[in-house]
Amino acid sequence: MTEEILIPVKFILNGKAVEGRFPAARTLLEAVRGDFALTASKEGCGKGECGACTVLLNGIPVNSCMKVVSTLKETDSVVTLEGLAQDPLMKTIQAAYVEQGAVQCGFCIPGMVVSTFALLKINPRPSEEHIKDALSGNICRCTGYRKIVAAVRSAADQAMSIPEVR
Amino acid sequence: MKSYLGFIRPTSITETIAFLNTHPGARIVSGGTDFIVKWKNGLMPDVTHLVDLGALSLDRIEISNGTVSIGSTCTMAAIAADTRLTDRFPALVEAGLHVGAPQIRNMATLGGNIANASPSGDTIPALMSLDASIVLSGPDGERRIEIAVFFTGPGKTVMKRGELITSIELADRKTRGTFLKLGERRAHAISKVSAAVSTWAVSGARPIWRVALGAVAPTVIRARRAETLLEGNSGKLDADTLERVKVLVSEDAKPIDDIRSQAAYRRRMTGVLVSRAVAAIS
Ligand SMILES: Cc1cc2nc3c(=O)[nH]c(=O)nc-3n(C[C@H](O)[C@H](O)[C@H](O)COP(=O)(O)OP(=O)(O)OC[C@H]3O[C@@H](n4cnc5c(N)ncnc54)[C@H](O)[C@@H]3O)c2cc1C
Ligand code: FES
Ligand code: FES
Repeated sequence: MTEEILIPVKFILNGKAVEGRFPAARTLLEAVRGDFALTASKEGCGKGECGACTVLLNGIPVNSCMKVVSTLKETDSVVTLEGLAQDPLMKTIQAAYVEQGAVQCGFCIPGMVVSTFALLKINPRPSEEHIKDALSGNICRCTGYRKIVAAVRSAADQAMSIPEVR
Repeated sequence: MKSYLGFIRPTSITETIAFLNTHPGARIVSGGTDFIVKWKNGLMPDVTHLVDLGALSLDRIEISNGTVSIGSTCTMAAIAADTRLTDRFPALVEAGLHVGAPQIRNMATLGGNIANASPSGDTIPALMSLDASIVLSGPDGERRIEIAVFFTGPGKTVMKRGELITSIELADRKTRGTFLKLGERRAHAISKVSAAVSTWAVSGARPIWRVALGAVAPTVIRARRAETLLEGNSGKLDADTLERVKVLVSEDAKPIDDIRSQAAYRRRMTGVLVSRAVAAIS
């Protein structure tokens, strides 16, 4: 058999330029978890339906399980939850999820908070409709969503009074 | 498992065509949202190379000389955010907003939705209701195909080896229109039935109407008898005309039973969706 083919890829991961060689059809999720040991992003379904793998690609949320890592360019910026850990808005969101009791098993939460972050960045005062739409690609099997929506709302309110956030 | 899959990101259309033409196992990957699912399910055993369109600048939306051109790698999110499109083609924008969830819309491309050729591809009825043309580039140059004759069956199109979709063209005009879909839930579900209706004014003549139906036949179809009826209707749309539209489109629908729904229900809902869509824009 011929030799294995690995594709050289460069991109920006959590603010740092990274590179690697990957099988052509490797997904970004497999790469961040397997190759870069960043395990916040979860594989719930592996087919774009649950949102547990949500990361930001050039600032917008995408399913990392659907993104072919070889298609990333040197200028593409991928931010996983780890890359947001010190962000004041993300800290506010996480605290609000805890306060509202919006976390049960926790498996969906890394994706939920990344989607929440993406929403509040562009829409600091979302309506209930906005919140539900922004989270419509994130499935939670435990909470029933009410507390999650309440957490997003509470995070939005609190973020308003944090100087570093806006 | 070892990977023997090649990858290329061509920097020109000519290079893309040449590669596709000489590599029968080469497969375009754009947003990857259809590709990855099929790949993971082992449905693509013959693929030898992935061809990334990301360096071809096909993500532009341009208006010139009476034509609106939407690059094939424009995402659903980009389409929905473009006010030139929201002003002109509400049916297309609404269809784009019905694709998946935000994360999917940020990746899924218009070209991918068309090339995938699913009868339930949501932008297809919308584009059909707008008389769109698909622009293909291939070994024999460029050709434009009316979307109404682009699809030949589920997953099948008139595209030939070596060809790719470069853009989608629409006449630059204001239309009224809408797209409605019935899925398992409101957000993030594949259509069981979908319908797009668009209408636009023509100087010195009655307005044009277009009605397209998704997921109720092997390809998306136009409901031409309903279109003719609507075009012949002068003045305000009455309940009687709407009822006749409902009957005509349910007759045109040739749905199947499958995991998502049953034929009888689909046929009935086709009438309901179309009459709602027509009423909404009248
Ligand atoms: C969770 C989930 C939900 C979804 N929900 C919906 C939905 O609600 N409605 C809907 O319509 N679809 C839905 N889809 C399907 C999919 O997202 C869309 O069809 C999308 O538009 C495909 O675009 P892509 O760029 O991701 O395609 P890709 O996966 O990159 O490509 C799809 C196919 O088209 C070919 N192709 C791509 N671009 C071109 C081109 N320019 N020229 C020629 N061939 C090309 C590829 O070779 C491949 O065969 C969903 C998918 C997932 C995973
Ligand atoms: S793991 Fe990516 S959407 Fe479920
Ligand atoms: S908390 Fe368990 S899936 Fe959401």
